[in-house]
Amino acid sequence: MGEPELGAILEDLFIRCRGLDAPLADRLQAFADGLRRLRPDFGAAVDEMVGRLAESNAGSGAPKVGEPMPGFLLPDESGRVVRLDDLLRDGPVAIAFNRGHWCPYCRINIDALARAEEAIAAERRHIAAVVPDRRRFAMWLKSEAKAPFPVLTDMDNGYAMSLGLAIFVGEEMKRMMVRSGWDPSVSQGTDNWLLPVPATFVVGADGVIRARFVEPDYRLRMAIEDLLAALRSAR
Amino acid sequence: MHQIRYFLAVGETLNLTKAAERCNVAQPSLTRAIKALESELGGELLRRERSLSHLTELGQRMLPMLRQCYETALTAKTVAASIKTGEIAPLTVAVSRAVALSPFAATLRELSRALPGLQLKLSRGTSGEVAEGLKAGSVEMAVAGPLAEAWSRLDAFPLFEEPFDLVVSEAHRLAARSTIEFKDLTSETLLLNTECEMAGQLSARLAANGILDTSAHQAPTQEDLLTLVKANVGVAIIPAGVEMRGLRRIRLSELNLTRMVSAYVVAGRRRSIACAALLNMLRSADWSYIAAPERERRAG
Repeated sequence: MGEPELGAILEDLFIRCRGLDAPLADRLQAFADGLRRLRPDFGAAVDEMVGRLAESNAGSGAPKVGEPMPGFLLPDESGRVVRLDDLLRDGPVAIAFNRGHWCPYCRINIDALARAEEAIAAERRHIAAVVPDRRRFAMWLKSEAKAPFPVLTDMDNGYAMSLGLAIFVGEEMKRMMVRSGWDPSVSQGTDNWLLPVPATFVVGADGVIRARFVEPDYRLRMAIEDLLAALRSAR
Repeated sequence: MHQIRYFLAVGETLNLTKAAERCNVAQPSLTRAIKALESELGGELLRRERSLSHLTELGQRMLPMLRQCYETALTAKTVAASIKTGEIAPLTVAVSRAVALSPFAATLRELSRALPGLQLKLSRGTSGEVAEGLKAGSVEMAVAGPLAEAWSRLDAFPLFEEPFDLVVSEAHRLAARSTIEFKDLTSETLLLNTECEMAGQLSARLAANGILDTSAHQAPTQEDLLTLVKANVGVAIIPAGVEMRGLRRIRLSELNLTRMVSAYVVAGRRRSIACAALLNMLRSADWSYIAAPERERRAG
């Protein structure tokens, strides 16, 4: 477990940032800024990791707009097996890869997606989140945000890796994360320290990708307005 | 993914030229990819000595993990390519006779809903027979306690750790107790599951606490054992994951014995969609209702 104080301080920061009446990007930025203020060394380690990921073109091999979204068969938070085709039968869907229930950026992102879903469900458009966390933790993430959409478990990041979206955390960041109480090995049920590059794919009912946002800098997520616009124009 | 594939080839051949040939790439690209993987993992994986390459300590440590990741991703690709509703999906699963099937029933129901073409072939056996089946390829997946078989290609995925408790019939004199000690058991007739992977450890633990099981009744399966317990022929000390109708579970405070139930597959063998789906479902499931309470606190 991490330093109890640091964990609690970061949780306070998260709650403040999640509650901001501001666009998703600003809420994420507020957390990143707050973290840098509280722990400059952590902020620097994040910059270093993001720089390394950008240099190695992490996520660049992921499927592109106009290409078909590869199918999947993943259990959701209730143990029900969900396949991409099932989701597409109900209309266009946004598939959002998130890092896990422990990640404050993902928690803010899921919260924003949960609020957006209300606006789009009536138009036969949907969202599904994918995390490497096991069912119990996927359920936790879903409940925390009161998300109406399924949170799917991608064990070992297998689906993410097959899309070129899996990265290794690396030793230094690993130490920082453990100290903050952000240990994905418990929720993932494996200690391979592999995480997905956060990414959102908007997939049309025909299975073709209409828009995507793939960003190794995990502090950045697809803007909700862009997601809504892409979902609305998708057929 | 290709970086990992290249590294696995080097791990097997210990020769960069041969590894590059096997992966169908030029050696400089292979070296570059491995360098990129090294920078991602934050350490050197290979040490070069003339024509041979050796894995560093980090390389050796990472090899099985990377192989497992690679196989999972490869299976995900197969799923993406060939997933069709109703397609025949055969799956042979061996479950150790010492493991109850009931905790897995809901998962199997969901698997057969999700894959309407599923043809499940379930077999039961001792842990030795289960391991043999995996080795011979007649079984694709096994669920069992710790297997004695030390085979490097056996991949074990721990599912849940069950505490051993005393189980008695509802009509038994101890049925109302919530906790007991070894001394409460001295006059009891014990029932033993002779084929439980933990039978040896359990006997040793009992002997160390003054309980000799030489006069115990023996049964070869969990089911038979429980039938006898229900009929009040005797009492048994068994792991937690069983259907408790007609029975009472009592904590044996000094015992401290648990069993890890794992799913087993063979590394390097192509996994069917049904096998991959079942493995992911079992591993992602919430088994906390079975797990020992102290373990839960650590995980929480």
